Amino acid sequence: MSATLTAGEVVELEKRTAREDTQNRASRKGFFTDTTLCIGCKACEVACKQWNQLPDDGLLFSGLSYDNTLELGASTWRHVAFIERPVALSTQDAGAFSWLFNSDVCKHCARAGCLESCPTGAIIRTEFDSVFVQPDICNGCGYCVMSCPFGVIDRREDDGRAWKCTLCYDRLKADMQPACAKACPTDSIKFGDLEELRETARTRVEQLHEKGMQEAYLYGDDPNRQPGTEGLNAFFLLVEKPEAYNLPPDPIAPAKHAGESWKSLAFGAAGLIALAIGSAFASTRR
Amino acid sequence: MAECHPVGFRWVMKAKERGATIIHIDPRFTRTSAVADVHVPIRAGSDIAFLGGVIRYIIENERYFKEYVVNYTNAAAIVNERFEDSELHDGIFGGWDAEKGEYDAKQWMYEGVDGDPHKHPREPIRAKESDPTLQNPRCVFQILKHHFARYTPEMVEETCGVPARLLLKVAEELCRNSGRERTSAFCYAVGWTQHTTGVQYIRTACIIQALLGNMGRPGGGILALRGHASIQGSTDIPTLYNLLPGYLPMPRAKVDHDFKTYNDLNVSPTGWWGEFRKYSVSLLKAWYGDAATAENDYCFRYLPAMTSDHSHMNTVADMADGKVKGYFVMGENPVVGTVNGALHREGLRALEWLVVRDFQLIETAEFWRDAPEIHRGEIRPQDIGTEVFFFPAATHTEKDGTFTNTQRLLQWHHKAVEPPGDCRSELDFIFKLGQRLKKLYADSPDPKDRPILDMTWDYSVHGPTNDPDAEAVLREINGYTVADGKVVDGFTSLKDDGSTACGCWIYSGCFKDGVNQTMRRKPHWEQNWVASEWAWAWPHNRRTLYNRASADPEGKPWSERKAYVWWDEAEQKWTGHDDPDFITKPPSYRPPADARGKDAISGIDPFLLQSDGKAWLFAPNGLKDGPLPVHYEPQESLVENSLHGQQCNPLRMEWRRKDNPYHQPYHDPRFPYSLTTYRLTEHHTAGGMSRWLSWLSELQPEAFCEVSPELAQETGLQNGGWATIRSARGEIESRVLVTNRMRPLRVRGREIHQIGMPYHWSNKGIVTGDCPNELFPFVADPNVSIMETKAISVSIEPGRRSRERRFITSGPLVEQLPEHAEERDLPGTHRKHTTGHTHETESAKEGNT
Amino acid sequence: MSEPPNDLTYYNRPLLKESVWSIDIPLYYFLGGSAGAAMTLAAALQLASEKGQSDLRRVSAVCHWTGIVGSTLGAVFLVHDLGRPERFLYMMRVFRPTSPMNMGVWILSGAAPASIAAGLLANRRGILGAVGEACGYVAGVFGAALAGYTGVLVSTTAIPVWQAARRWMPVLFLASSASSAAGLIETFAESEAARKVTRVFGTAGRVAELAAAHQVERAASAVPRVGQPLREGATSILWRGATLLTAASLAASLLPGKSRTRRVAAGVLAMAGSLCLRLAVHYVGDASARDARASFQQQRAGEA
Ligand SMILES: Nc1nc2c(c(=O)[nH]1)N[C@H]1C(S)=C(S)[C@@H](COP(=O)(O)OP(=O)(O)OC[C@H]3O[C@@H](n4cnc5c(=O)[nH]c(N)nc54)[C@H](O)[C@@H]3O)O[C@H]1N2
Ligand SMILES: Nc1nc2c(c(=O)[nH]1)N[C@H]1C(S)=C(S)[C@@H](COP(=O)(O)OP(=O)(O)OC[C@H]3O[C@@H](n4cnc5c(=O)[nH]c(N)nc54)[C@H](O)[C@@H]3O)O[C@H]1N2
Ligand code: SF4
Ligand code: SF4
Ligand code: SF4
Ligand code: SF4
Ligand code: SF4
Ligand SMILES: [Mo]
Repeated sequence: MSATLTAGEVVELEKRTAREDTQNRASRKGFFTDTTLCIGCKACEVACKQWNQLPDDGLLFSGLSYDNTLELGASTWRHVAFIERPVALSTQDAGAFSWLFNSDVCKHCARAGCLESCPTGAIIRTEFDSVFVQPDICNGCGYCVMSCPFGVIDRREDDGRAWKCTLCYDRLKADMQPACAKACPTDSIKFGDLEELRETARTRVEQLHEKGMQEAYLYGDDPNRQPGTEGLNAFFLLVEKPEAYNLPPDPIAPAKHAGESWKSLAFGAAGLIALAIGSAFASTRR
Repeated sequence: MAECHPVGFRWVMKAKERGATIIHIDPRFTRTSAVADVHVPIRAGSDIAFLGGVIRYIIENERYFKEYVVNYTNAAAIVNERFEDSELHDGIFGGWDAEKGEYDAKQWMYEGVDGDPHKHPREPIRAKESDPTLQNPRCVFQILKHHFARYTPEMVEETCGVPARLLLKVAEELCRNSGRERTSAFCYAVGWTQHTTGVQYIRTACIIQALLGNMGRPGGGILALRGHASIQGSTDIPTLYNLLPGYLPMPRAKVDHDFKTYNDLNVSPTGWWGEFRKYSVSLLKAWYGDAATAENDYCFRYLPAMTSDHSHMNTVADMADGKVKGYFVMGENPVVGTVNGALHREGLRALEWLVVRDFQLIETAEFWRDAPEIHRGEIRPQDIGTEVFFFPAATHTEKDGTFTNTQRLLQWHHKAVEPPGDCRSELDFIFKLGQRLKKLYADSPDPKDRPILDMTWDYSVHGPTNDPDAEAVLREINGYTVADGKVVDGFTSLKDDGSTACGCWIYSGCFKDGVNQTMRRKPHWEQNWVASEWAWAWPHNRRTLYNRASADPEGKPWSERKAYVWWDEAEQKWTGHDDPDFITKPPSYRPPADARGKDAISGIDPFLLQSDGKAWLFAPNGLKDGPLPVHYEPQESLVENSLHGQQCNPLRMEWRRKDNPYHQPYHDPRFPYSLTTYRLTEHHTAGGMSRWLSWLSELQPEAFCEVSPELAQETGLQNGGWATIRSARGEIESRVLVTNRMRPLRVRGREIHQIGMPYHWSNKGIVTGDCPNELFPFVADPNVSIMETKAISVSIEPGRRSRERRFITSGPLVEQLPEHAEERDLPGTHRKHTTGHTHETESAKEGNT
Repeated sequence: MSEPPNDLTYYNRPLLKESVWSIDIPLYYFLGGSAGAAMTLAAALQLASEKGQSDLRRVSAVCHWTGIVGSTLGAVFLVHDLGRPERFLYMMRVFRPTSPMNMGVWILSGAAPASIAAGLLANRRGILGAVGEACGYVAGVFGAALAGYTGVLVSTTAIPVWQAARRWMPVLFLASSASSAAGLIETFAESEAARKVTRVFGTAGRVAELAAAHQVERAASAVPRVGQPLREGATSILWRGATLLTAASLAASLLPGKSRTRRVAAGVLAMAGSLCLRLAVHYVGDASARDARASFQQQRAGEA
């Protein structure tokens, strides 16, 4: 298998990825974040802040492994989680312990809770099929904040607007790949055409299984296995249950079942009207 | 490596994707361990024992690459019968000179070679006799075998706290992955070097790689992962006191009386250093131009000469003793970065003047008003006489120049923006300083001022601020023919008759054909996989050194898979994917007995910088502390040396002074735990480049120490709480991170605890904290005088430190026990305070990688 | 707490973001809701009163004005809570059925003007009067939606406890609005007609509120961890408090006799209960957002 790749083949491979870097034909783009390649260097986090000129999130020591930014938010659009667990990776000889990293990001959900909830239409779906918040439209109602099943988007104290990963819309426009993917030294963050990424991801999982890493699986790549969001444009390769990475096991775009509430409102409202009329007429009887 | 060389680690991960096995040997479970296949938690300071165990495994099980070992190493060489192994003397090699407190290295020489360059300058250091069967009890191989015979898996477990199972696994993995078809590589950095035995750590790895045939071959080697972006460059064209460009030694007062003596002592009778004179002459021509003539020894006398060891810690100690007037600090933050910060500040306070060039007002520039002793009111700024000059520096994005990376690759970087305000590059500063000095001495008749006046100092300038042209400097470094100023195409064109000038022979060729080769940016998919057209590597754009070893003695590749360079019978020349690092002669060439210099290298001597062209399993000269590595404990250990009575490296450099007290060698009741220090990906060294930057600071905002749950249990430390850590030198506080990544080890029947602590913080910047270097003593390796930062003994307890005291300035923190020096050294091996080494070894590099 | 075997979280960190809403929003729920119910009641009274039946008309007017004041005041709170209040009107750039908040704005902007018109033109003669009438009915319908859409607003979020109760939340809000609207009239309007209207309207509203609250708690607790904030901790005090106040108000409104104080008591208790309920829902939501386990267990149980 891959172990016997010739130097030539590797070069070929490199060529392909290099081409992918720049070919940003307007088409479904996304991220495949392979946590088994992540070394927790946080270059993605910093590159994102640098490119988007985001402020720091406070200088607080958390005491939680090497994670001091703790979560995605209005000014942290890439966040690297550090999971210390008392379980060995099936392919590692390092005692009953392993340290997992995951560079989390907005999932650019195929069905996006934030977008659907936005009353101003500030959140749009771009030609790259990414979910983008137009800062000049957002009025800071904060509804998207509660409507993201991943707790990604947040409102910034100082300027009152909601912010999150833009999938580097500006860079994509200029035929560049996102800053975080560009900075990632180990290609743990892979950016490209969604379909190709899904292909790559599936072969990678098979490869890992062959090597004996049975625990490896994909999260969010398959709309059928994550109906609530109809699939994620930024999906992940994980080796532990989603909860360990602070990812929801079965997320859902809230609007998906809004119908039930609207129905309940309809009946209830009818009831209210009936009651009103009833009590009005009742009061006419003397 | 993932922590400190994340970008380089890209290739490790690529290799892993292709099936490579990653082994990580580290006291802590780090980001590297997280992605490694095997993690070996080892006791800090005990690697020689571990690697020794690997060597024993290779030899006992005959897993070495026989053909390679016999032909390409000095395994067969017969050694002087006077040689006595350290195993015979409880950890000391024969030939200890109690007078000098040093070894008489001649006892380690090859049979029939005297080895005294003063008596026999033209004597080649190459074996007179050898035994290709490797059976002769006095051949290097047998000596090696017996030397490491006691490094059994059990002994390794005893010494390193590493289960025998793991040692065997690592050894077997290495053997399995070495040979004709496969190669293994070692990567190391300061986890291996910053010990009182640092150099011998690397020697041990060299022995393994030579035995397994992993040198000079693709995918093999020992990769020194260097430090600062161009720290490799600053050893090639050194900022080191004892070297001139291209690893030519700095002249020594009292020894190198004149140019002839200097060359005689350094020109190697055999091997590539036979070319030495060409390089020394060309260097002087580059520096002193027309003034340098054969008649005046090419101005050799202009060069400063060393009177003694002027390495960093010696200089600082001298400062503290008022022997140093002024001090330039450019691109360094020593009061944070160097051990015993308090002693360092003591030194700065005793200066007349200090020049600091940096981006920020770092601790070193602010020592006079923002330092622990100042805050405690023990020292008052108004009482400090030092005049401090601060110059704002330009960053690498604000200036043209090259970086020389870990792979000896010179890569040009272009100025992207003008430096703001008064910020200037080093080049600009030094150039203009030189101009002013020349002006100052312009009409001085005094001969002692000639060096300044005769110095060539004529780089073209450009831009609004008249910056010197960096490319002009690179040209000079590349070298040119004096007559017409045409650039030479490589060091092979350099002459020793003054007709060529060259600023650094190993860099010669970087400006080949008048083209700045370091600017080349051809992507690797548009060329062969060695990618020789990306930037430029010294020497001669070779990507792998000693690559002749990638072919068998007949000159054929050891295997198709590992083909790299080979002898082309038809063309009658060496060829391959890379530039052959070898002489032009065929594999069959055997030098006549009287051959000298590079002609003395035979067709099967790949290691052409060595006087005998062989990889040295056994080092007949060049090292102060022995021809073979021996396991010694750190200066301050938790345990007794399990292999022999000699506890520590007998030649370690000590500074015995009241402001640099040492703990007991082991079992010091006051300091029951071991402390090791290191880096975090999120910060850079002493912090000047990260502690002022919010994006990095938020990622690791506070100084912290890492302890195992067991140690937290034992000492009552709380995760996220405070700890106070103490040594006889000082007392610091930090946050506590309790983590399973730190693990207690069982050593000699005891459970020992190691504390880990990054050293990035100090008292300036947007995030601050105490620096562990307040705890470390001055103590160093004898060969390259690198400090020991990876293992000392300390105490730790919950809570914050006292605001009043710190030892150096305010008297003992701990009651001073009689310090049992004798327990460090066997009787008769004691050495006086070592400032002021004599200079018997040729090239020494200072250790910070 | 009884946790499932693989109780994984990321250092007990929350999965979701708490609402960024200040107390403005629960206040808006209360004001808007009461206003909405009042509008509906106003329309109904309008319908019931043949010409000249002035006492009913007067009550209707009171309701209109309740609606007007309530909805405008509510709108003020709503705008005030925005990160960029000056951009309030951007809410009306689009018509987005997937966004209850967007729908809500359309509802509010239908209800408020209509009720204002109705309020101003009521009792006019001629066509102005007719227009007023019409507006009254329009406001009545929009009012009913206004009284309960905020129930949809909260349950169409990722907050587990709200989501779990999505089938009952709107009903709860409607009922509570009816109760508080009645409460307002009870407190401020003293007439035979008012007494009669509120007796039925208020009582029914309060009964419904209590029943709906029970259903919400049941639904939320289908996965025990999700309902936790309703049953434990500070938030549960608000939640239980709301039930108690409403129950008390119900008792008061059921007591026989025409004592003014009894009605005022019932009214005030009802408003307090309904306000307390809105606050409870708000803070219960925040608590739920802070509890990653709630989401995880809800989703693992297939309840999301
Ligand atoms: N992000 C980042 N990168 C850097 C730097 C930085 O400050 N930040 N600094 C640069 C510089 S100047 C340098 S020199 C390099 C240094 O690169 P490294 O040498 O990798 O840096 P360290 O973290 O000091 O040490 C490496 C490891 O050695 C381990 N160690 C300590 N004692 C021992 C021992 O006795 N045996 C073994 N086997 N391991 C031991 C430590 O636990 C640590 O994990 O990094 C360079 N790169
Ligand atoms: N305890 C402990 N101590 C250690 C180590 C350890 O592992 N443990 N590691 C040791 C090692 S390997 C090293 S290399 C040292 C590093 O220690 P230092 O070299 O003393 O610390 P740095 O922060 O790297 O200092 C570099 C300074 O140069 C500045 N600078 C950067 N670029 C330029 C430039 O172009 N021009 C000028 N003028 N200034 C510039 C930066 O702002 C920074 O302040 O620390 C050593 N100390
Ligand atoms: S992850 Fe959250 S913020 Fe990102 S698109 Fe999905 S719903 Fe929106
Ligand atoms: S805060 Fe901005 S982006 Fe989020 S829903 Fe409101 S208007 Fe849309
Ligand atoms: S895509 Fe751009 S905005 Fe999104 S995380 Fe990466 S760098 Fe940040
Ligand atoms: S840059 Fe890549 S390797 Fe580094 S933390 Fe981010 S994802 Fe992981
Ligand atoms: S900082 Fe520079 S030298 Fe260090 S890893 Fe990154 S790129 Fe390499
Ligand atoms: Mo370094």
